[in-house]
Amino acid sequence: MQPNIQWLDTPAVFRVGQLPAHSDHRYYATLAEMAQQQSSFEQSLNGTWQFHYSVNAASRPKSFYELAFDAQDFEPITVPQHIELAGYEQLHYINTMYPWEGHYYRRPAFSTSDDKQHLGMFSEADYNPVGSYLHHFDLTPALRNQRVIIRFEGVEQAMYVWLNGQFIGYAEDSFTPSEFDLTPYLKETDNCLAVEVHKRSSAAFIEDQDFFRFFGIFRDVKLLAKPRTHLEDLWVIPEYDVVQQTGQVKLRLQFSGDENRVHLRIRDQHQIILTADLTSAAQVNGLYKMPELVQAWSNQTPNLYTFELEVVDQAGETIEISQQPFGFRKIEIKDKVMLLNGKRLVINGVNRHEWHPETGRTITAEDEAWDIACMQRNHINAVRTSHYPDRLSFYNGCDQAGIYMMAETNLESHGSWQKMGAVEPSWNVPGSYDEWEAATLDRARTNFETFKNHVSILFWSLGNESYAGSVLEKMNAYYKQQDPTRLVHYEGVFRAPEYKATISDVESRMYATPAEIKAYLDNAPQKPFILCEYMHDMGNSLGGMQSYIDLLSQYDMYQGGFIWDFIDQALLVTDPVTGQRELRYGGDFDDRPSDYEFSGDGLVFATRDEKPAMQEVRYYYGEHK
Amino acid sequence: MANTNKRLAVIFGDVTLGLKGPDFHYLFSYQTGGPESLRIQGKEWLYRSPKPTFWRATTDNDRGNQFPLKSGMWLAADQFIACQSITVAIDGQTIPLPIAPENNRYSGQETAQEVTATYTYQTITTPQTTVEVSYTIQASGKIRVAVTYHGQAGLPSLPVFGLRFVMPTPATRFIYQGLSGETYPDRMAGGMAGEYEVTGLPVTPYLVPQDCGVHMATDWVTIYRQAVLDNRLREPVETGLKFKAVDQPFAFSCLPYTAEELENATHHSELPAPHRTVLSLLGAVRGVGGIDSWGSDVEAAYQIDATQDHHLEFEISF
Repeated sequence: MQPNIQWLDTPAVFRVGQLPAHSDHRYYATLAEMAQQQSSFEQSLNGTWQFHYSVNAASRPKSFYELAFDAQDFEPITVPQHIELAGYEQLHYINTMYPWEGHYYRRPAFSTSDDKQHLGMFSEADYNPVGSYLHHFDLTPALRNQRVIIRFEGVEQAMYVWLNGQFIGYAEDSFTPSEFDLTPYLKETDNCLAVEVHKRSSAAFIEDQDFFRFFGIFRDVKLLAKPRTHLEDLWVIPEYDVVQQTGQVKLRLQFSGDENRVHLRIRDQHQIILTADLTSAAQVNGLYKMPELVQAWSNQTPNLYTFELEVVDQAGETIEISQQPFGFRKIEIKDKVMLLNGKRLVINGVNRHEWHPETGRTITAEDEAWDIACMQRNHINAVRTSHYPDRLSFYNGCDQAGIYMMAETNLESHGSWQKMGAVEPSWNVPGSYDEWEAATLDRARTNFETFKNHVSILFWSLGNESYAGSVLEKMNAYYKQQDPTRLVHYEGVFRAPEYKATISDVESRMYATPAEIKAYLDNAPQKPFILCEYMHDMGNSLGGMQSYIDLLSQYDMYQGGFIWDFIDQALLVTDPVTGQRELRYGGDFDDRPSDYEFSGDGLVFATRDEKPAMQEVRYYYGEHK
Repeated sequence: MANTNKRLAVIFGDVTLGLKGPDFHYLFSYQTGGPESLRIQGKEWLYRSPKPTFWRATTDNDRGNQFPLKSGMWLAADQFIACQSITVAIDGQTIPLPIAPENNRYSGQETAQEVTATYTYQTITTPQTTVEVSYTIQASGKIRVAVTYHGQAGLPSLPVFGLRFVMPTPATRFIYQGLSGETYPDRMAGGMAGEYEVTGLPVTPYLVPQDCGVHMATDWVTIYRQAVLDNRLREPVETGLKFKAVDQPFAFSCLPYTAEELENATHHSELPAPHRTVLSLLGAVRGVGGIDSWGSDVEAAYQIDATQDHHLEFEISF
């Protein structure tokens, strides 16, 4: 297969040669590795790579992936990192406007009468920067003679991948893992990985989130070996009987490779409570009743159980041990009220972007741990992953800490339907365009398949501020069909009420006033109400929170909300005049048009110091724990 | 038992009214339109005469709901204000203003139990209104300050109302009895009552400098300063000046900048090097709001109605 530069322009092409999304479980070679959470099947490729920046596709080094290519003028770059923060490309913050506003006249593919007008929109633009990355690596001994895949956890916004001169694949969707099988072309030593990242593609129309507009390989890159028998995917579906406090688990497993024996163990916090033996057939289904009463999972009691699946060969040698934490909890709507484990759910939530003031959306496990601890000490019990899937490790952290998650799909097309505040959806995408359906649904599929085992996820969210049409309706149907154990959330249908019956299990609004919420609840409401964004904490703000908290006692169907948002997005820069390090925001990089300080809306400053308003959050969120 | 025999020395100057006791010497000026000097235990506490304050540096939410477009005249009123008239009362009796030649009748040995100087200010708003600030000085050196804003129909909602002190050097710290953290009328439920010490003069690092550092429901605050501008004092010691609420708790902020200085900076590095202490004692504070940052106003209960009277009263002691 040959790569085609026009894939950048074509919404229907978004994954080529990419492996299907699957559960994010970790697996190990031995019990000892599992105890250390260090898998010898994994090899990090983070570090120093070679890099070349081009302002557009035409001027990129087209043959850089070839083994004979002379990369003398390539420069070292740290991976992961945004290319802007490496100094090659202009920093730019903008909210709802598309980042090319005033620079290019663009309409989404197939939204005009000319069904060819999109060809060349990105691939031939005179400004659409390209990052060409090269990386040479040897396989660690544990990965040799195995099937090996590569996982990019996050690459913005479109990439082509080659290994040892051979084309491997193409991927869009900046915030979900992209995996490719490297096995056919892999050598033990001196492999040459080539990755060509394009700043914008047709995906830009549905990745119009309110944030700094970056590109590049910004999350971890890893090699993952698959031993000769490998658990490709598992879905643990715990079922909790709230009255009896009993539980059972449905299990769906998918193995690849040789068929071998599998020892299944379920542990509670203390010991093994159940064992079973299976074989690693391609598809395995099981149902296991917990032998004793189960401890339910909730914010106050984040009780986790663990599945272990140990594959052993004929000689009794361990081939692979997979591990998956899970919990028993039941989220449902009864009499138009959301119940968690039989009790009314109250969301004391916050929206969270991934952010660090020096590295942007490239963050670390330490940053995540700080964020979760901060939520816990301030009685924040829920997080909406605004507006894209987060790093894999964050979901584990929320499982362990008892933070309820609204797991949002990587979708926002704000600039396609709202201009200067006015609703004007004449060319809204994905809307009801067939040509945009596959790419959009794929984002839902990847989100679901990757994170389906996380007990903390109570809601799948279709995305943010994308208006509504038949494509979102299908997304809603997809999530509901795949996963009857969770609720589906979407706010944008508020703007397109004709879809209300078929999109979203909850009535969700953003920034509604207390009076508007009352008006909804007093007039034959059909769905429980939440605020997916409220209390816009920009600068010195968060006044009047009491009026929202009071609604919790007045209406059972008012079930709380997610404050906007967790952390200011601003960048530490040395001021050339004073020599001081200080936080900079949109417009401070000659970036135009911009929305300036509008990204400073956090409960914590970009430096992760709590804003003074946090004591108010702690107080009010402490009232309805 | 209080020493009722102690009396203030009163110096009927031509431009100022001097009031003196063992540890203090105050000058109330007819020229600057307010007290010009509060020298206590050898240390000067005023850089310029205190004036009524009406403006707060625009918050992001204020900008979003166009508050400055509606109430911007208070910015000018905050920066420029004229003292319209002054009255002086000795032991409760208003006397003809003791400037020349009226003050020729006094001697160098005048004393009093209590002296009140009242300054009336006229705002440059349209329509105009007045604010009275009266200082009643006792023999002990205690000063009781009463600030009264007269409501006026047609005036737009006020950002704040209070009296602003500018002190000659930056405070080292302040201690107050009130609520924890930075609080506003619509964001004070989480504040815990107690005694708190704040070192330095921190400016809350909001991305764009804006109003900050307000402490609601305060019983008293003591400002501590060490440095002085007086070139004779080589090794000044840290001393404090206490501001104590009378009848009603007050709000205050203690920052190195005026509202106007904060207003003009887009980043903290653009703020001037901190040279002074700006203490604002506030009788009314506009809430910060929080519904959104692009239009929703602060809830009605937390807006300041400029058509109504507002009052602030406190006592200064050392």
